[in-house]
Amino acid sequence: MSAVHVVLLLLAAPIVALHRRPRLALRYARGVALGLACLVVLAPFFWLVAAVFKDKSVFNEFVFFPPPAEWSRKTMNFDNFVQLFQGGKRGSNGTISSETISFWQYVLNSAVYATVGTVLQLFFASLGGYALAKYEFRGKSALMVFMLGSMTIPSVLLLPPIYKMVVDLGMVDSLFGLIVPGMVTAYGIFLFRQACMSIPNEMIDAGRVDGCSDWTIYYRLVMPLVRPMSAAFCLMSFLGHWNAFFAPNVFLHSPENLTLPVVLNKYISDYSQDYGIFLAGTAVAMLPPALLFFALQREFISGLTSGAVKG
Amino acid sequence: MPLERSPPKPARPKPPVEWAPYLFLAPYIVLSAAFFVVPFFSAAVLAFYETNGPRTRVFVGFANFRFLLHDPMFYTALANTTAFACASVLLQLPLSMGLALLLNTTEGRLKGFFRLILFSPNLVGQIFVGILFSVLFAPRYGLINRTFQALFHWGLEERWLGNPRLVMPAIIVTSLWVWVGFNMVYFLAALQGVDKTLEEAARIDGANVWQVFWHVTLPSIRHVVVFVVITTIIGSYQLFELPLALLNSSSGRGPANSGLTLITYLNELAFESGDLGLGSALGWMVAIIIFAVSIVQIRISRVLED
Amino acid sequence: MLDRFPYGKAPLCLLVIAIVASALRVLAVSNRPKRADLVFVTLSAYHYEAYQKPIREFERSRGISVRLQFANATSLQSRLQNAMLAGTEIPDMAELVENSLSFFARGPRKDIGLLDLTDRLHESGLDKRLVSSRLSLWTSGGRTYAFPHDVHPVMLAYRRDLVEQLGIDVTQLDTWAKFVDAGRRVTRDVDGDGTIDRYMIDLSYDGSWSLDALLLQRGVQLFDDAGKVAFDNEVTVDVIRWLLRQSFGPEKIAYDPDASGSSGQSLMKAMTDGLVLFVWTPDWRSRVFQDDAPHLAGKMALMPLPAWEPGGRRTSVWGGTGLVIAKKTKHPDWAWDLANFLYYDPKEIGARFARTNIVPVLEDAWVLPELDVPNPYYSNQPIGRMYADLAPSTPPRRLTPLSFVAEQKLYEAYARSLEYYRRSGEDGLAGAIRGELARAQEYVNLRAERVAALAGAQ
Repeated sequence: MSAVHVVLLLLAAPIVALHRRPRLALRYARGVALGLACLVVLAPFFWLVAAVFKDKSVFNEFVFFPPPAEWSRKTMNFDNFVQLFQGGKRGSNGTISSETISFWQYVLNSAVYATVGTVLQLFFASLGGYALAKYEFRGKSALMVFMLGSMTIPSVLLLPPIYKMVVDLGMVDSLFGLIVPGMVTAYGIFLFRQACMSIPNEMIDAGRVDGCSDWTIYYRLVMPLVRPMSAAFCLMSFLGHWNAFFAPNVFLHSPENLTLPVVLNKYISDYSQDYGIFLAGTAVAMLPPALLFFALQREFISGLTSGAVKG
Repeated sequence: MPLERSPPKPARPKPPVEWAPYLFLAPYIVLSAAFFVVPFFSAAVLAFYETNGPRTRVFVGFANFRFLLHDPMFYTALANTTAFACASVLLQLPLSMGLALLLNTTEGRLKGFFRLILFSPNLVGQIFVGILFSVLFAPRYGLINRTFQALFHWGLEERWLGNPRLVMPAIIVTSLWVWVGFNMVYFLAALQGVDKTLEEAARIDGANVWQVFWHVTLPSIRHVVVFVVITTIIGSYQLFELPLALLNSSSGRGPANSGLTLITYLNELAFESGDLGLGSALGWMVAIIIFAVSIVQIRISRVLED
Repeated sequence: MLDRFPYGKAPLCLLVIAIVASALRVLAVSNRPKRADLVFVTLSAYHYEAYQKPIREFERSRGISVRLQFANATSLQSRLQNAMLAGTEIPDMAELVENSLSFFARGPRKDIGLLDLTDRLHESGLDKRLVSSRLSLWTSGGRTYAFPHDVHPVMLAYRRDLVEQLGIDVTQLDTWAKFVDAGRRVTRDVDGDGTIDRYMIDLSYDGSWSLDALLLQRGVQLFDDAGKVAFDNEVTVDVIRWLLRQSFGPEKIAYDPDASGSSGQSLMKAMTDGLVLFVWTPDWRSRVFQDDAPHLAGKMALMPLPAWEPGGRRTSVWGGTGLVIAKKTKHPDWAWDLANFLYYDPKEIGARFARTNIVPVLEDAWVLPELDVPNPYYSNQPIGRMYADLAPSTPPRRLTPLSFVAEQKLYEAYARSLEYYRRSGEDGLAGAIRGELARAQEYVNLRAERVAALAGAQ
């Protein structure tokens, strides 16, 4: 019976003790359940943080952090981060096989790809979604069926033809060539369609009576009303771009053009056993999306409420 | 209802053809024509050819499809992917719903706090998650085995990624970690729109917690549930980066192909063996399967509604 | 302003960041060096490091600009594969791992996008000076498409201190039978907690590299000279049975520290703890140990593989890198010169060995003094000399477009045999293994028929 078992018993006991106060017991049980869920979710993160600070010689020695008694430069250090930011592994003779590219260049590349891609996707998806929601026109249902169907095709398959096209256009090995093919998404258009559909038609008619052009209605009237959905979509799109690996891996070649996931993947090779740098990179790469989500949490949720959620 | 006739209105002039919707959708149409339709046809047509190297191709009609239909690896991939889809719907969604229900009754700050934590796995890219978990699943020294050992005195040497019977469970566990929080957020948002008075009424009438949920709450959010189920199934059938990263020593296959999914098999056929024709044929079949499953799913949900 | 932006606060922030980031990038990009004469992509950090100086020297002496890039194996694979499939350009020079040539050498000879090196190798006499078993790895249809980089003979690295403590004399372990005997005595649960904490050797629990290494040591190839599948034979059955016994049998001696998987430092820890005493070590891996487990310096040593029969082959082969030149490159002669310089220049090879422990593939380079330098990590053994002595007997590997598929089916057959072994033990095991191998062979033949039909139809 280890410490873990004791802890579990302590957690379970109050539930039994409170059997006379069912509501309190229920609240307590709910807290425990949520706490357990959070523990399970956070454990890998905690492990990650511990792993990036551990020296590789004690990597598997301790599950998480070494006990404070054993903290020293030998067991815990910033080596992984140093190697990450200097762009290379430290070989046994102490030299770093460094690329001449600064780590921040990769962060910049990822930032450009993610923000520009997101902004463009937001613009086109909201335009298309509004059009589908509030207009009737010939070919509308055909278009929607087409869009639905396009979502079932595995995108991996389209990679070689798109790659060839991008090469022929001279856009390969550039962020531009990566962004352009992905600028429009049927999924995004559908999301905005849902959001725009809940805007009362009277408002739009009123705008038209006032003499507003279609563009003005879209830009000044409708978009402010679907801000929550815009925020939600921004977050999802940013996440998708920031963490994308497969397509950037194929489309980007020169070291100065690579994005973070592609660069970090370089540190995993069949021959090396040291995952410290990769894990450090993972931790660093998580920060911008975390920041964004933290700032946008409420809007994200209300965006979902306004859009895909309502029937 | 009696028919009402209002006095005839004066004839209105026909409104001019609106260019706005076409203009607004033009970017989508142009870009998808260039980057979806054209590549799609190019890849689709390829399914009827056999390719050998970059330039040679021979028209073979349905031979590729016939090969796949007799291919044990195709059926393995199909079985694995379907198992994953079932587990997603039957394990992931109830967990998401359960957590959403629990969180729904929490107040204010704490709710936002829990929500952030439970959603956070989604902030990490799939490839990172895959590689991170491949280290966590390591035998003897990995976090997961060590935890089992500490709790149950068993499992230290379990080869999650080396035992064919445990590979799919490992993939499922990883996907749970990532996506339970994601769907939970959807459900939570939906639950906020549920009319509390209906639930109160049911409770006063003597219904217990489960009955309230099943007969009052669930029907109120059924649109969201259907949406989430459909997107989960479609997403499950396209599972690709996660097993590829998790099983990266065998390029996503796993021992005895136990981790092979439809899309990783497609990737292998098209890219690793270079048989793009066979890969395209598989792509067709995957699209048809997803389409069929979605139709069935929609039919079922319609039946359930009535 | 914040409130007036129609899309909301977050999109506005992202828009601002997008503009700023793009501006920064344009600035950064404008300082980009012009396109180099030669682009060379390597797939190993060790190689990347090792090539820096020689490439600068080459640039200086020839006045050519060379761009060295580093991509890890799978990245480079998929990039090259896509380029091949789309018919677009590949970098002038690239390093490939073993087996990947089979992908690029598919199809009729005129379609292969790599420069055919056979004639040049012959004219320069290089083909005689290179270890002959390595050329076959990079040859398809009788033509050679890559420069072999290495030989990669395999030895066993072991914890000399622990092995001596246990009273094992490694000079006596010259056959696998003797090795297994010693292993049985040594493999045990030392601290009595129910799990074995000392194993003799590391083997892969799902076949893969162990199966490859052992089969090659016994001279089994996946395909025979005629290009037909050849792994369905009694030797393979025997090896599979042996592997199963040593990994899962009642008297097992092997542990899989998941070294070829993604478990980070598991192998290092296993060696540090003495969990595994003997570890399969090709020459490149001996260097990895030095880098990743410096605390074991002086405690390790190397020995040749035990042979299957007395006087038999005492090494195998694991891994291999080759350098290919794009057929469409604008400067084939420069590329040829650079490749020769990097791989075979006598001044370079000694220094390269000192940095990477990789034995040169040029036979006349084996007289270099660097190979005899005692290596303190490995108890002052002259590991270069030890590996070089084994190099001539390194088994050859043959290459076909379906090598990849055949390997996967072989591993699958192994996994299935393992299931049978777990259920029914030794009873009828040989028959079960034969059945699985036959099934695997049948599948590969089906795929081979497709390729043959294609070739025939042209």
